Amino acid sequence: MTVALASGRVAVGRGLWLAPLLLGATILAGTAIGETRLPFTVVLRTLANHLWGAGYPVDGIEAGIIWSYRLPRAIVAACCGAGLALTGVVLQALLRNPLADPYLMGLSAGASTGAVLVAVAGIGGGVVSMSLGALCGALLAFGCVVLLAHAVSGGTGGGRATQAAAAIILAGIAGSQMFNALTAFTIARSANAEQARGIMFWLMGNLSGIRWEDVGACLLVSLAGIALCLWHRRGLDAFTFGADGAAALGINVPALRGSLITATAIMVGVLVSKVGAIGFVGLVVPHAMRFLVGTRHDRLVPASALAGAVFLVAADVISRILVPGQVLPIGVVTALVGAPAFALILIRGARR
Amino acid sequence: MKIEVRMLSARVHRTPLLKDISACVESGEFFGLIGPNGSGKSTLMRCLAGLQRPVSGRILADGADLSTMPARSRARRIAFVEQQADTTDRLSVRDAVALGRTPYLSPLRGWGADDDAAVTGALRAVEMTAFADRLWHTLSGGERQRVHIARALAQDPDLLLLDEPTNHLDIRHQLSLLALVRALPITRVVALHDLNQAAACDRIGVVLGGRLVATGCPHEVLTETLLADVFGVAALRHPAPDGSPQLHFSHAL
Ligand SMILES: Nc1ncnc2c1ncn2[C@@H]1O[C@H](COP(=O)(O)OP(=O)(O)O)[C@@H](O)[C@H]1O
Ligand SMILES: [Mg+2]
Repeated sequence: MTVALASGRVAVGRGLWLAPLLLGATILAGTAIGETRLPFTVVLRTLANHLWGAGYPVDGIEAGIIWSYRLPRAIVAACCGAGLALTGVVLQALLRNPLADPYLMGLSAGASTGAVLVAVAGIGGGVVSMSLGALCGALLAFGCVVLLAHAVSGGTGGGRATQAAAAIILAGIAGSQMFNALTAFTIARSANAEQARGIMFWLMGNLSGIRWEDVGACLLVSLAGIALCLWHRRGLDAFTFGADGAAALGINVPALRGSLITATAIMVGVLVSKVGAIGFVGLVVPHAMRFLVGTRHDRLVPASALAGAVFLVAADVISRILVPGQVLPIGVVTALVGAPAFALILIRGARR
Repeated sequence: MKIEVRMLSARVHRTPLLKDISACVESGEFFGLIGPNGSGKSTLMRCLAGLQRPVSGRILADGADLSTMPARSRARRIAFVEQQADTTDRLSVRDAVALGRTPYLSPLRGWGADDDAAVTGALRAVEMTAFADRLWHTLSGGERQRVHIARALAQDPDLLLLDEPTNHLDIRHQLSLLALVRALPITRVVALHDLNQAAACDRIGVVLGGRLVATGCPHEVLTETLLADVFGVAALRHPAPDGSPQLHFSHAL
C-alpha cells in the first residue's frame, strides 16, 4: 500500500521534471511546422538570434514567419489550452457535473454574440474592437447565467447547495441557447455571405490573427489561473462529496465557488476574445487527466494545464497542415480528435 | 464539547422545518435523535453542523456562537456524516478519508506525518484498513458508510454528528459501529431509526413535526404512550437482561 503510494508520488515527481521539456518541445514543433516548409536549423537560428542575439545570418522573411507569426501563435495556443482545460477542471469539481465545461456557462455563446455585434452590426462605431466586444459579451452572458441560476435556486436560502449546482447547469444551457440565437439572428439580418463565412471561422476558433501584442494578456490570465487553482487545490478536493460535504470540511462554499468561477469566467473571456470559441478542450482534457493522474487536484491541476497546452498547440499545427493550402478552424480539429477520444475514455472507464 | 441549542427555528424556502428547539448536550454525552421520517432530524443535524443557518435562535458550542465561528475552525471541532453523500470520482478509500484533514491543511502547510497517522487511525477504527487502496465505486453501501465515518474521525472532532449511520449496514456492522461510537470519548449526536439502538444512548431527544417533543434518558422517554403518539405504533416494553428497555412492536395504529 505504502509502496504503491510512494511509487505514485515518484512517478508524478518525474513527470514534473518532464513537463517544461514537453511543453517546450511542443511549442518548438509548433514553431517549426507549418505551410511554408522551413529547415529546422533556420528555426533554431532565428530563435537564437532573437533570444540571445546570436547573430546568425537568416532570411528576413523566413525569420519573420518564425518569430512574429508562428512563435506567438504557439504560445497563445498553449495558454488557451491550459486555460480552457483548467476551467473545465474547476467547473466540473465545483458544480459536481462531469459535463461542465467553459461553454456550458454561456461564455462562448456570449463571446460570439459580442464579436458578431461589433463586426457585423457595427455596434461600438469602430472604436470597440472585436476582442473587446467578445470579452464584454462573454462576461455579460456569464452574468446572466449566474443571475438566472440564482433566481432558479431561490438564492442561497435553503442551504441545498447541490440544487444550486444543478440550477447553474440548466441556466447555462438556457443562456447559451439564447446568445447563440442572438448571434444567428445578427448574422442572418446584417451579414453578407463573405462576412458570414469569416464569422463562422471565428466562432470555431482561429489563431491566425495572433501577434506578439496578444501574448501578454493570454500568458497573464493562464498563469494566474494555474496559480489560483493550485492555491485552492484542497478546497477543490473537498467538493468530492458535494457542496455540503465541502462546507462540513470547513470550506466557505459561496466564497470559494464565487471567486473561482468568476476567475475562470474572466480567464475564458480573455482567451475567447483572442482566439474564438474552441470546444472540447475544457471537457475532454480534465477527464483524460483524471484517468492518468487521479482525482486529486494537486496533480490534476498541473497535469490538465500541461495536457491542454500540448493538445491545443498540436491541434493548431494539424489545422495548418491537414488540408494543403487551407487553414481549418482549430475547433474543427479539437472536436474531430476530442469526440472520439472522449468516447474512448468513457468506454475504458466503464470497463475498469 | 458541550452544545446548547436555544429557541432554534429553521426554514427552507419559507417552509418552517424546525420550531423553537431548545436542548443541551453535555460534553462527552452520547445523544440520540429519533423521530418519524420527515420530522426534521436531518435539518436539525445540518443546523448543528453549521450547514444551515437558523432563522432565529442560537447554537452555542462550548459557549461560542456557531454562526459567528469561522468555517475552518468549526470543521476542526465538529464533524458531520450526512445521511447520503456520494461521488462519481474515482478516488481511493485512503484519499476519501484524507479529505477529513482539510481543515488542518492550508495552501502553504502541506500534508504531514500527523495527518498520515490520523488517517491510518481512522481507517483502523472502522475496520477498513484492508480497503485503503480500493476505489470508492467498488465499495458496498455499508463499506462506504464506514469510510464516511472514518473521514469524520480523521477530522479529530470534539463533536461528531451522524445522520442515520447504521443505514445500509448488516447487523454485525451496525452493532460494531454503534460499539465504536459508544466508546468514543467525544460528544456525539446521532440520528437513529432503530429505537432499540436508541435505547443504548445516554439520552435521547424525540423530534416530531419540527419540534423537540421529549428529551431524557431512554427508559424515561421510550414509553408505550410516546411510541403510540409519535410513531403511531403499538409497542410492548420489557427490560433487557442489562436493565435497558427492550421494545417489541406489534402493529401500526
Ligand atoms: N429543501 C427542502 N425544501 C422543502 N422541504 C424540505 C427541504 N428539505 C427538507 N424538507 C422537508 O423538511 C422536513 C424535514 O426533513 P428532514 O429534516 O430531512 O427529516 P428527517 O431527517 O427527520 O427524515 C420533511 O418534511 C422534508 O420534506
Ligand atoms: Mg433524515
